[in-house]
Amino acid sequence: MLVLHTAQLEERLVLWGEDSAARQDQTNADRHPGCADIDLLLEAIDLPDYDIMAGEATVWLPSKGNTPLPSSPLAGDAPKSRAKPRIRPWRVSAIRLDAGAAAEFLQSCQDRPVLKPGVILGPEVAYWYRAYRFGLSLATRQQYLPTVTGRGDRVIATWKPLFIGDDAHRLAQLASLMPPSARSVTNAAAPQPPTPAASTVLRAFLDVTVDHLVRGALGPDAANGGVDSAHDAWLHSLSSADGIIDAPLVQLQQLRQQVSEWHRPIAAAANAPYRLCIRLEEPPEPADDEAPAIGQGDWYLRYLLQPHDDHSLLLPAETVWKRRRRDARNPDFSPREFLLSSLAQAANLCPPIAASLHGKRPAGQKLPTAGAHQFLNAEAPALQQAGFGVLLPAWWTRRGSRTRPAIRARVKTPSMQGGGHISLSTMLDLDVMVALGDQTITPEELAELAELKTPLVRLRGQWVEINADEIREAADFWSNKQQVSVRDAIHISLDADDRAADDNVSLQTDDWIARLMEQLDGKTQIERPDAPASFQGSLRPYQEAGYAWLTFLRQWGLGACLADDMGLGKTIQTLAALQLDEEEGNERPNLLVCPTSLMYNWQRESAKFTPDLNVMLHHGPGRKRGVRFHKTASNHQIIVTSYGTMLRDAKFLSDVPWRAVILDEAQNIKNPVSRQAQAARNLPADYRVALTGTPVENHVGDLWSIMEFLNPGLLGTQAQFKRNYFVPIQANHDAAAASRLQKATGPFILRRVKTDRSIIDDLPDKHETKQYCSLTREQVTLYEAVLREAEARMEQQEGIQRRGSILDTLTKLKQACNHPRQLLADNSPIAGRSGKMERLHQLLDEIIPNGDRALVFSQFAEMGAIIQRYVQENFGIETPFLHGGVSRRVRDGMVERFQNDPHGPQVFVLSLRAGGSGLNLPRANHVIHYDRWWNPAVENQATDRAFRIGQTKDVHVHKLICAGTLEDHIDAMIEAKGDTAERVVGGNSERWLTELSNAELREVLALSLDHADD
Amino acid sequence: MVYYDYRPTIRARGGIRAQSRRGDFGSSWWAQRWLQTLENFRIGARLSRGRSYARRGQVLSVDVEQGVVNALVQGSRKTPYRVTIEVDTISAGDWEALREEFAQQPIIAASLISGRMPDNIEDAFRVRGLSMFPDSEDDLETDCTCPDWSNPCKHVAAVYLLLGEEFDRDPFLIFRLRGMEREELLGDDFRQSAQTLDGPPAPPEPLPADPDDFWANPAHRLAECDLTGAFTTPDAPAALPRQLGRFPFWQGEQEFVPALQRIYQAASRRAIDSYTRQAEPEGAPPNS
Repeated sequence: MLVLHTAQLEERLVLWGEDSAARQDQTNADRHPGCADIDLLLEAIDLPDYDIMAGEATVWLPSKGNTPLPSSPLAGDAPKSRAKPRIRPWRVSAIRLDAGAAAEFLQSCQDRPVLKPGVILGPEVAYWYRAYRFGLSLATRQQYLPTVTGRGDRVIATWKPLFIGDDAHRLAQLASLMPPSARSVTNAAAPQPPTPAASTVLRAFLDVTVDHLVRGALGPDAANGGVDSAHDAWLHSLSSADGIIDAPLVQLQQLRQQVSEWHRPIAAAANAPYRLCIRLEEPPEPADDEAPAIGQGDWYLRYLLQPHDDHSLLLPAETVWKRRRRDARNPDFSPREFLLSSLAQAANLCPPIAASLHGKRPAGQKLPTAGAHQFLNAEAPALQQAGFGVLLPAWWTRRGSRTRPAIRARVKTPSMQGGGHISLSTMLDLDVMVALGDQTITPEELAELAELKTPLVRLRGQWVEINADEIREAADFWSNKQQVSVRDAIHISLDADDRAADDNVSLQTDDWIARLMEQLDGKTQIERPDAPASFQGSLRPYQEAGYAWLTFLRQWGLGACLADDMGLGKTIQTLAALQLDEEEGNERPNLLVCPTSLMYNWQRESAKFTPDLNVMLHHGPGRKRGVRFHKTASNHQIIVTSYGTMLRDAKFLSDVPWRAVILDEAQNIKNPVSRQAQAARNLPADYRVALTGTPVENHVGDLWSIMEFLNPGLLGTQAQFKRNYFVPIQANHDAAAASRLQKATGPFILRRVKTDRSIIDDLPDKHETKQYCSLTREQVTLYEAVLREAEARMEQQEGIQRRGSILDTLTKLKQACNHPRQLLADNSPIAGRSGKMERLHQLLDEIIPNGDRALVFSQFAEMGAIIQRYVQENFGIETPFLHGGVSRRVRDGMVERFQNDPHGPQVFVLSLRAGGSGLNLPRANHVIHYDRWWNPAVENQATDRAFRIGQTKDVHVHKLICAGTLEDHIDAMIEAKGDTAERVVGGNSERWLTELSNAELREVLALSLDHADD
Repeated sequence: MVYYDYRPTIRARGGIRAQSRRGDFGSSWWAQRWLQTLENFRIGARLSRGRSYARRGQVLSVDVEQGVVNALVQGSRKTPYRVTIEVDTISAGDWEALREEFAQQPIIAASLISGRMPDNIEDAFRVRGLSMFPDSEDDLETDCTCPDWSNPCKHVAAVYLLLGEEFDRDPFLIFRLRGMEREELLGDDFRQSAQTLDGPPAPPEPLPADPDDFWANPAHRLAECDLTGAFTTPDAPAALPRQLGRFPFWQGEQEFVPALQRIYQAASRRAIDSYTRQAEPEGAPPNS
């Protein structure tokens, strides 16, 4: 295990690592005993295209005696010594990344805890990633200036970020959050530990980050132009790779002087504790409020000072002028002079402010209405961008359809009835009108408003911005557009349309389409059909609601994303909806795509709940193709296939006119440009369904791909989506865009969470699910080999010998199901070789981000160790493993930490024997039985570690079973025996198996698979 | 013996190029006043001789000091001509009086800082019986090492014109020429000491020895606050350089602010691209 650390040192980001497998170099007492070597670091970051400096560095770490303390339990064990830790230097192998390599590295890490299996990221990596994003934002917003700096005896042209206004506040906040480990590296050891200020280190990082982004902006060949003067050389070097300015020394000195002269006005303002804030105030309200009128009286720009650390405090300029010259707390700062020089700066961007400077002690400036409009539209944004605070009237800042003129279109009722023949592309007729606020406006009134020739009008006490040309243009556009598709109508009604947002277009609808809208909007309850006649089983009330919702959207040909929490029964709701469609007369097959590891699950669940539906697994090398596939498919209702097979067979799969295409674990297509996503979108179907347990609505970036699959075109093109939603929401925290997106997608996403008692008040406190897993081809081969060898042996054995042989075979087969590495007992790789492990990964993928905690039981100590290792390497979280070899003291420590430490582990691996009884672990709300112990009592006892007094949440029990193997068959036998199972199997869970005849035994152990994973 | 020694002007490289392509040099009223002052001395007509020199960048350097301007101008000889313009300085006593006058009106300081000569500044001079610009020919003396006998020659004229433009950019240059530096003029209140873009040096922060503090994980607090700001490309590019205005005595071949503007726009695009690239889902899904 490698834990990577990063610290900024001068112009580079230094990387070093703690390697839990490092061999201590006894000969060198200064060297960090557990530091990763260069090769390991290079392999971990994998940036072959970058120029990377490899060497050594000194890291200052908390240490006890002659041992550095590990950054986390994953990096190694802390020394037992009770000595007080102190900071001391350690030599480590280190690589130094320049800004380009650092950017690439941080982007590949983002804020994840793990870079790749076995490479854990220290807390500083996520920190630098955030700082990098700040740099990106500064560069985007153009908050930097060109400058010159000295480096050694060179003069370098650089771009320097500026922290003005809010950015000063952000810089201070970010500096205060820096982990000390991010500034603990020096080039060489020294008698005293370094004490760099976080803000200095952060500035150094942002300096090189912004410089890098701007320097390379014009591309590699951009640095050109004249070289005849120092100015030419400077401009040239601002885009050149090394930035060195080539000019005679005298000229360089003059250049530096000129640059600092040029910077002077901003440099002074950039370091002040206040900013100038300008407030636009409305003229007083006139007595007569009726007719639309040009505003009476003047508007006023008021000047205020606003401290960076408290934006709610506003100091009027009058007060500043009356005060004594110096601020008592900060004698170096003079608010009066700051106010004056800021006003002077602002005057350059805003002529009315310039005008006010001719009076004594300027505190504000009167504006006519046209001036106010000019200020709102042009000068305010410029001032804001230059770092001045700008306060505008609320009606302007939240201007939306209410106060701006709007186009209203009325959809005429089409002649058709019901939803059966209507598709998203059906065209509807439109009537278009212009409205202002709540009033419809006649063309004459519109002309009158345009006549006023003033952009701001007070209409019944409310200020309204008017752009007559724009209104007319929009009205023309919409009146020429006499038809609209159902798809567009839905967009516009849901307020998600681009044009609707820009031009304030609203749509009035009636009759069926109005009802559809209301139902989609959740304003009207949708009808709940009865459960389908041949559905076996019962639906809980919330499942009925989900089933009804799926059916409702299906009837309109709309795609649905069912995103219920894991364990709420997405499968059963989907199967019920498919069954109903069948009973309503559908004769065409449905395609269900899911991860390979879930295929058997679908087959099982369908056999159980909807036995009338014929399920066909389309998978593996022996699967039917082309015409043969078509033929067989048409005799089945559900074709289950994997994402990989869907991609490989895309050609003939897309020739089938599917009734429905259903994607399980639909986050598999979250990357819209992936071939899988494209293949899924190309499958023709009457309607589509996406199932996922991850809260898709929280991952804005993933949403487009899933919605594009479900309802093509609903969110616009990917580029439009990026512009309208992704960037505003993700980058700018734009609440309006978020709510527009929510409105647009909300009708098509249904998500219920386990903790929501208002919806789900009838769940049992313990919820058991069998998770059917597939075998990898390697597992199949091993399983069959064990079986062949055993069969040969058993024929010849009897009595105690036979019994021993059977038990041995059972163990080996279970090991093959668990993981090839367990059976082979070698140190072969873990990832990608076991269907069960993959299923475990999927379960933890949902459990860990939710903040839940899980116990994982295995009856094999070796398997427990493999699980522990896999989880640690792939999730980067500390994972204790309790087995028989753990001392009582250590065990108590594990339990204590799991139960009570706020940062305690989220996953706890236990061997069934050592941890299956006696422990109190109710902090876990998931229990995963990685392998089975054929005695329900023993399993329940293990489950009860979590499901006991102290448990406040529902407990979810997941039993992993490899489909078609002995695990599956024995489970079925025990199920069939029901209550008596316990008596049948008795105390020893496996002895009874040895009593079976050879024929019976063969049946139990045989592999009843059509095909293996591929 | 009269030789008219005609030689073509040697094209200068890397000189200071006048920014005005046509019409007046210097658009502000005070630059206009400067040129007008010269015209009043009946040398104005000859100024036109310097126009093409100033525009072509034949003036290699201009150095404004108290009471004197030294410049190098590339003419038809290999060695550039040395131009000096001497201006009478205002005495220290008179400056003291002027400073008192200015202190009465904060607007004067504000305007000057914003790069604008206050409209009423000449009144302030007049009140004290002084003049901001030289008011007689005797206050101004020019010299050039060229063989042209007319004074001002085109070399001097070119420097005059460029000075007009530079006064536009920095009104303090006029005061310097008359013997007063910016800091002295504005007084202590405007003597902002650190004029670099770096903030004041931060106090040292020792590394904590407690491992929990040392390896502190700020992840959730980082996620909570807005520590980046918007990712919006400004509507008007390069606002900061434009706010600072022209660069002192710009000698570059390309125009300064437009050249920067291109870079600023490209950098915004690049940063936005990097941002959306990293924030998007990546790689192939785990299961297939």
